[in-house]
Amino acid sequence: MMQNKMSFNQSSVSLEIIGLPDYSNNESKDQISIISQWKLTIIDKPLIEGKVEHLGPIMNAFYTYSNLIIKNEIPLFESKLIDIKAENLYIHNIVLKSSKPNVKPLILKIGNSLLSDTINCFDQLNESQKVRLKETAAPNNIPKKLTFGLNKKVKFFNFFIPPFIAICSLILFSSSFIYFYNPIENIEKKELINPE
Amino acid sequence: MRKSYVRNNIKLNEFDALTRITVEMSKYLYPYIREILKSKEDLEENSVIWNDFNKRFIELIKERFNVDSMRVKKLLNQSDNDKIIVKSLLTLSFCISNQGYQKLKNFLYDF
Repeated sequence: MMQNKMSFNQSSVSLEIIGLPDYSNNESKDQISIISQWKLTIIDKPLIEGKVEHLGPIMNAFYTYSNLIIKNEIPLFESKLIDIKAENLYIHNIVLKSSKPNVKPLILKIGNSLLSDTINCFDQLNESQKVRLKETAAPNNIPKKLTFGLNKKVKFFNFFIPPFIAICSLILFSSSFIYFYNPIENIEKKELINPE
Repeated sequence: MRKSYVRNNIKLNEFDALTRITVEMSKYLYPYIREILKSKEDLEENSVIWNDFNKRFIELIKERFNVDSMRVKKLLNQSDNDKIIVKSLLTLSFCISNQGYQKLKNFLYDF
């Protein structure tokens, strides 16, 4: 049976997905749901290829790593299959470990430009209508619940902080008047007005 | 940080609109963003593009931002601002997909 091929390209990086449609799900001929192979080609670098079970973890590694860079955290990702570590601000070291025994790991050095090309290829794959990924591409972003929580927190603070500061400043301001008030003096004044 | 004495909080729809404009501009300017990032990767090569970009970036900051602020001073320091520029460019380059708007929004909430 002829397999379908889909390519996603971004500047120096190309991602090729090879597979078949799931006819039991009434899918069209040009769809890919059963991925048999994938190839990630980065210009001037060795070819990266693997089975469907490797694609998800590799995409996840790239997404997690890119999030760590943006979030100002230590950019380091380690797993059984892939390690990504920053050499400096501009260069990243990728170590791809083979699942086969006695095969040396593949070490790649990519710059920020190639990293963003790779992420964009994965984004294209995630958004593609023709390739269906099963539980792989949990995209990159923080879960919505977390962002919602963050929003609520910000709203809560925006709502309560200004009146709280206003009340505090009123207390501080009015407490300074205590220095001008002398109860003994006041009593004496009253006595002077009403000498009886 | 801006040269303005009026402090208006940005409205949600304005924030959304600005995010959408930024994403569309990043899509359009991706080849340039990529070249700027690339020019800094090879330390042996003279990074002319990077230096030009940095020069223009500083010019714009001086023109539009409050230079007396400490945070702005950090942006103006050529040796210190590399990290900020790289992260900003990377953020933009990661958000050029169709769902880039949502991605950029998430990144911004996380800042």
